[in-house]
Formats: sequence, C-alpha cells, structure tokens
Amino acid sequence: MRTRAVLTSIFASVGVLVIGWQAGSAAMTSTQPTRTSSGTSGTSTGTVLGTTTATAPAASGAADGSYTGDDVNTRFGSVQVQITVSGGKLADVTALQLTDHDRRSVQISNRAEPILRSAVLDAQSASVNNVSGATYTSNAYLQSLQSALDQAGL
Amino acid sequence: MRSVFETMGTVASIELAADEPDALDGIRGIFADAEKRFSLYRPGSELSRVNAGERPLAAASAELRDAYALAMDWHLRTAGAFTPNRPDGSIDLNGVVKALCISRAGELLHSLALKDWSINVGGDVLCAGLSPTGDWVIGIVDPVDRQSLLCALPLGEGRRAIATSGSAERGDHIWTIDRDTAAEFVQVSVIAEDILAADVLATAIISGGIEMLDLATDTWAIDVLAVRTDGSLLATPGVRSLISV
Amino acid sequence: MTAQLAPSRIGSPDRRRQYRRRARRSDLLVTALWASGAAAAALFLSVGGAGQFGTAADAITSLGIITGLVGSDFILVMLVLAARVPLIDRTVGHDRSIAVHRQLGKPALYLLLAHGVLLLIGYGVGSGFNLVTWVVDMWELPDMPLAFIGLGLLITVVVTSLVAVRRKFSYEGWHLVHLLSYVAVAFAIPHQLSNGAVLSAGPQRVYWIALYVLAFGSILVYRFVEPLVSSLRHAVRVDRVIAVAPGVVSIVLRGSKLDQLGATGGQFFVWRFWGAGMWWHAHPISLSAAPTANYARITVRDLGTGSRAISAVKPGTRVWIEGPYGIFTDSARTAPRVAIIAAGIGITPVRALLESSSIAPGEATVLLRASSADEQWLWPEVAELATEKGASYFEMVGPRSPRASTWMSARDQDRGVTLQSVFPHLLDSDLYICGPTAWLDLVEADARRAGVPAHQIHSERFDW
Repeated sequence: MRTRAVLTSIFASVGVLVIGWQAGSAAMTSTQPTRTSSGTSGTSTGTVLGTTTATAPAASGAADGSYTGDDVNTRFGSVQVQITVSGGKLADVTALQLTDHDRRSVQISNRAEPILRSAVLDAQSASVNNVSGATYTSNAYLQSLQSALDQAGL
Repeated sequence: MRSVFETMGTVASIELAADEPDALDGIRGIFADAEKRFSLYRPGSELSRVNAGERPLAAASAELRDAYALAMDWHLRTAGAFTPNRPDGSIDLNGVVKALCISRAGELLHSLALKDWSINVGGDVLCAGLSPTGDWVIGIVDPVDRQSLLCALPLGEGRRAIATSGSAERGDHIWTIDRDTAAEFVQVSVIAEDILAADVLATAIISGGIEMLDLATDTWAIDVLAVRTDGSLLATPGVRSLISV
Repeated sequence: MTAQLAPSRIGSPDRRRQYRRRARRSDLLVTALWASGAAAAALFLSVGGAGQFGTAADAITSLGIITGLVGSDFILVMLVLAARVPLIDRTVGHDRSIAVHRQLGKPALYLLLAHGVLLLIGYGVGSGFNLVTWVVDMWELPDMPLAFIGLGLLITVVVTSLVAVRRKFSYEGWHLVHLLSYVAVAFAIPHQLSNGAVLSAGPQRVYWIALYVLAFGSILVYRFVEPLVSSLRHAVRVDRVIAVAPGVVSIVLRGSKLDQLGATGGQFFVWRFWGAGMWWHAHPISLSAAPTANYARITVRDLGTGSRAISAVKPGTRVWIEGPYGIFTDSARTAPRVAIIAAGIGITPVRALLESSSIAPGEATVLLRASSADEQWLWPEVAELATEKGASYFEMVGPRSPRASTWMSARDQDRGVTLQSVFPHLLDSDLYICGPTAWLDLVEADARRAGVPAHQIHSERFDW
C-alpha cells in the first residue's frame, strides 16, 4: 500500500501544480489591456517609452509581441488599444481604432464659444471663498488674492 | 476655520467648518509624503533617484508606479497633449501628484465624516458641502491683472473641482507637444467633478490648444473658461449658466 | 516491495475490509500531505508566477516566495499532525503522526530560512545591495518586524527539539519552549496577508486563511475543547494507588460512564493529575486493564521525576484526561493469528490488549521478557489471561549477552531460539511489540528480516 500512497501523492501533487499553472496563465492573458480611452479623430501615436522603464501594473512577464485589446464601446465611441511587449517590458502603446468626430454620438454640444468679458464679470467678488489661477509660488502667494482671503478667514 | 501651509513650492489653504487638528495633520502628512517621494527639487526623492537611473522604475514603490501609470493613462486619453515625460525622457509627475494629494486629502476628510470643506492648493480647488456663506464660490484670476478676477463661479454637486493652468507663471510642468504654432491660450480653467481630471485637462488644453479644448469638452463632462492670448474668452455653455445663476 | 497478499493469508473478511479501509485512509492522508505542499506552490503559479523567472533577480525572488509558501504549509501540516486528530490517530496512530511531525521539522525550517534569504537577495539585487536601503525597505514593509521575530522563535523551537539539545531539558521545559511555535506561526500571519501578490486577494487568500483555520481549529478542538468536555463529563479521580513492586504502582481511577470513552485495551490516555506540583506534567500512559463503566487502571514504573511524582499521588485527586489514543488494539489486526511480545513496563498495554481482544483459542502466542525476576510486573495477570483466552504463553528471563545486540536473553540466544521458533506461523500473525525503545527496535528489525510485512507489525512506543 505504500507504493500506492507514493504514486497517488505524486499524481495529485503534479495535478495541483498543473492546475495552478494553468490558472496563472489564464489570469495573465486576461489582463491584457482593454483600456477604455478615447482618442481624437484621425490617428494618434502613443509614446515609445524608454527601454529602461516598464509599467509594472501591466503585463509583466507576458511574452514579447503585440497585444490588441478588445474593441470597447465607450460612451464616446469605440476604442481599441494595442500594446507592444518587448523583452518582457511595455515598449509601445498605440490607440488603434479611434473615435471619429462624425460617428460620435454626442448628445449636446459642450463646445466652448466666445463670450464677452463683461458678460462674465461678476461684481459679487465679496462672496468668493477661494481663488483659482495658474499656480503661484510660495512667494507670489503673498501678493495674491488668495492670501487676502486666507488672512480674512484665519 | 482656515489653515494655510506651504507645500510643493506653493501654498495650500484649507477651509473647514471647525478646528480639526487631526484632519489637518493628516492632510499635511499626505502632502509631505508625496513631496518626499515625487519632488524633483530633492535629489534624494524617489522620483529623482529613478530619473538618475539609481533605481529602475520596475523596482520603485507602488505609489510611484501607480502615479506614473495614471499619468500615462491620461497621456493616452489626451492624445499626447498631456505627458509626464520631459523632452529629455525623465519623468515629471508634478502634473498629477498635486491633484492626487488633493484628492486623497478630500477622501481623508470624507472618512472623518467632515461634510463641508474646501482645499485650495496653488489655485487648484476641491470642495464639498457648503461654505459658511452658502455655495463654495471660486473666483478666477484675470491673467492680465492678477489682482482682479475675471468672474466668480459657484461649485456644487457634480462639479466640485476647478483647476487653472497658465502658460505664463508656473508652466514648467507643461511640456508642449511639438507644434509650430505658439500657445493659443494663456490661461485655462476647467471645472469637473474630479480634481485630477480638471488639472490634467487644464494642462492638456494649454499645451494642445483649441483642438484639445474641443476634444476635452466633447469627451468629458467638464466646463471650461479659456483666455486667449489676445485676452478674449471662450466659455462652455455650463459656465454661462453658472454665471447667470 | 510489499506484495499483494494472497487471500488465504489474511484473516476474516471483516478484518480484511477494515484493514483495506485503514490503508486507503492512510494513503489519502499521505497524499493530502504532499498535495498540500504542491498546492502552496501552485498558489504562486496561479497568479502567473510561472512567468516570473525571466531575470536572475526575478527567479531568486520567485523561489523565495515559493519556499515561503511551501514552508508555511509544512508548518501547518505539522500543527495538524500534533493536534491528535482522531481521524489521524485511528488511521496511523498518534506515534506515527508525531514521527512524521518530527521529520517535517527541519525541512520546514530550511524552507523558511531559504524564503528569508532568497527574498533578501532578490530585493537586494533590485536596490543594488545597499545595506541601508535593504534594512529600511524590510523595516517599512508592513508586519515584517513581527515576521522576523516569528522566524527567530521558530529557529529556537527547532533547535531545542534537536535530540542533542532536547536531552538537556526536562520534558516540561522543552515542551514549554515548543509551545512558542504557536506564537511563531501567529506572528508570521500578518506579513503573509499584507505583502506580496499571491495572497493579497481572491481564492488564494481564502484558501490560505482556511488552512490556518483548519490547523489552529484542530488544535483548539482536539487538544483543548474535547479533553475539557471529556474530563468534565467523566469526572475522573484517583481511587487508590497499589504497590505492585518496588518502584512500580498501579493507579486505579474512578469516574462515570468511562465505558463511553470508547477506549479499548492497548490504548493510552494522556493524564494530568491536579495535585500540587503535578498539574503541569502530562503523562501518556497506557491502560493496563480494559476500562469498565466506573474504573480504569494504569500501571506506572518509576522512570524519572515525572513518573515518581505519580506514584505519590493522593486518592481523590482530580484527573484531566485526553484520549483515548493509539492503534495498538484488536481492531488493527489484519492476519489470522496473533503474536504478542512485551518487555518491562511495556507489558501494560499488552495486558489490557489481551483482556479486550477477541482472540480465539489457539490463535495467539504470548512471550514476556525480563532481564531478571525483579521486572516481572503483572506477569501473573497476563498468564491468567493467556490461559483464559487459550493462548500459548512463554517467559524469557535473563540478561542478554553483553557482546551481541539482541532482544533475547543470552541463554536463549545460545539455545538457538528465534522469533519464528517462538511464534509458529509468524508470517501469518499480527505481531504486537511493546517495551523499551532500544529493545523494541531490535525485535522489529528481527521481524522484518524474517519477512513479516510492515502492516502486520504493531509497535507501541513510549518515547515521544
């Protein structure tokens, strides 16, 4: 009976390892990107990342080659992304199928239109809580409107 | 109750309904940690070390890698108008780190069950609930005369964040893509629900011009007030309705 | 090497079935042990680990992770083996379970040490082997300091369990240190759950936690809860202490519903006497008579401080019991005949076994061995039982020859006595052996040489 124990153990152990390995491979291939990103009309190229960098959350350990994600329908159209893996690292990202201006189903146009300064000017600046502008340095802050507001509120 | 502290080369102003020293400490900590990790002005920061080649990106901390992945994500979405990579290839995450910290600070306040607050870091504002005077009202600086405001807009549900980018003052984290034309906008303010989206898109529109502005307004639920180089304004319909309110 | 035995050599169909069932269970347990180790490694594979061997640093780190997983799995298996799970005891006997537990000790520790070293090297390669970065990284990872302490405790436990070191401790002292292994295991849990990609989420995490629940649960239930319930329910106390011979006493214990304990002759309990200075000794002692509804008997020899204190126990002392354990019983029989050989105080379970067993006349042969007439404790009882059961009864008294290592007396050895000559039909018998370990080993070796199959040899060892 000992022989049987040994054989069964080997068989079971190998089986368990194979199942684990298969599960791992399945998990890796299913994490190839299906990014829901939108692109402009026309083609747009992704950036070639430096060869010294790798995007760790992505397919680390995936075999070299190009992987194309699924065609994903986003609110703004369909998007498809292709990544290229080289030397086990992410080498290139390209947005393939890009949303076309004309095919996009935009409900309402949210485009910015010219507007007069006078129409925009609000006289009730007294009720302003915060000021938003291009980022000020710590020094520039001292002369800013925000610092005046802060002084009042401190 | 307003508190002010210096961080990331600028100044943060926090408004809370009451004195909350723990919350403020927490917020200060968030910014301090990020600065330690991401500041390019400190040679010992993790990002500086990565840029110097002392540490490969793959071996960097999860926070750094996540921030970089996030920045690359936005890089894709803005068709390259926003990029965390400088022309020399080094990584500059200033464009996302500030907003990430503001976002996290907001989550901290939320987790402390504080409902009414505003966080303003160098002109990027995130708010929640009500101010002492009602809605949170944000004044947008006139780029031509920084002592006066262009307008004042109320923030609220669905548009809790505003970020303004300028080509004039602190434009070092905007790496304009290769274009023949000069910058079309001197200042862009973006109102959105998410401070990171607002910040990234404001930057992207400055660097990408009118094309990026159209893409952004078509793609995301935002409102934009943009100032052209000649001083004239462009505004989305939402801004109009906010003003007339 | 064990050939299939022809049906005619095995006993009644019932016994055959029982044996086969036990053998199957035993095989299943062994398989489960190894498969659990494989499963631990498979956890790593299931998160895509197979692809993490690209660079040297990756490969070292991956190996570090695998050794950690498998090493921890072995430690958990060891806990289960020491938990005195009834299923395991019924199948292979507690002493065999402990033997396997001991065998796993060093491999488990080596795996865990490798885990630490490999990961340090793997991470070190990434940080350019900068010692400061190393230490800071390790310190900043959540729960790592605790894990290091746990590893240190584990090393202490294993080192003190090495035979050479263990000898220097009293059993209780050694056992106390050994209990630190629980602490070591517990200290390691946080870092396993908060670091790394394998156990961070999903079915892998669930499985891992389930393993811990199983291991600690087994110990809690079978080492604490069950004995507590049993002791309270049967309310065992010392009834009287009978001197059998100088240095040997029989202790009669009184309780209620003792027959419902399910104990048969040949089994043992772990007894804890709640007297001053005695309560922290736990004694594994075989029953020396089959228990009745209200009485049970153990016979103890004055072997050391622990045992000596026992003989001084006062009537009325409360007793905490754990058991019954052991498969030195009638139900372990697989062959048509029975051969019993006992020496010294090893006679105790044999005496109880004879009493409980269903031996038919002519089936059994009993041989009792003693170096001198002083060591013939309970022999009259055994002789009487042998007559009752119609078993052949032999005595072998006398010192062994100083020049040879044998289980026999010098005189009988010279006469040409062998195991086969004592026990006719030896190869068709279940051989029950009990006595001092060294002597027992010699008998067993002799039996194996004579061709007795392993599953027909039942040894009761007292040395764990």
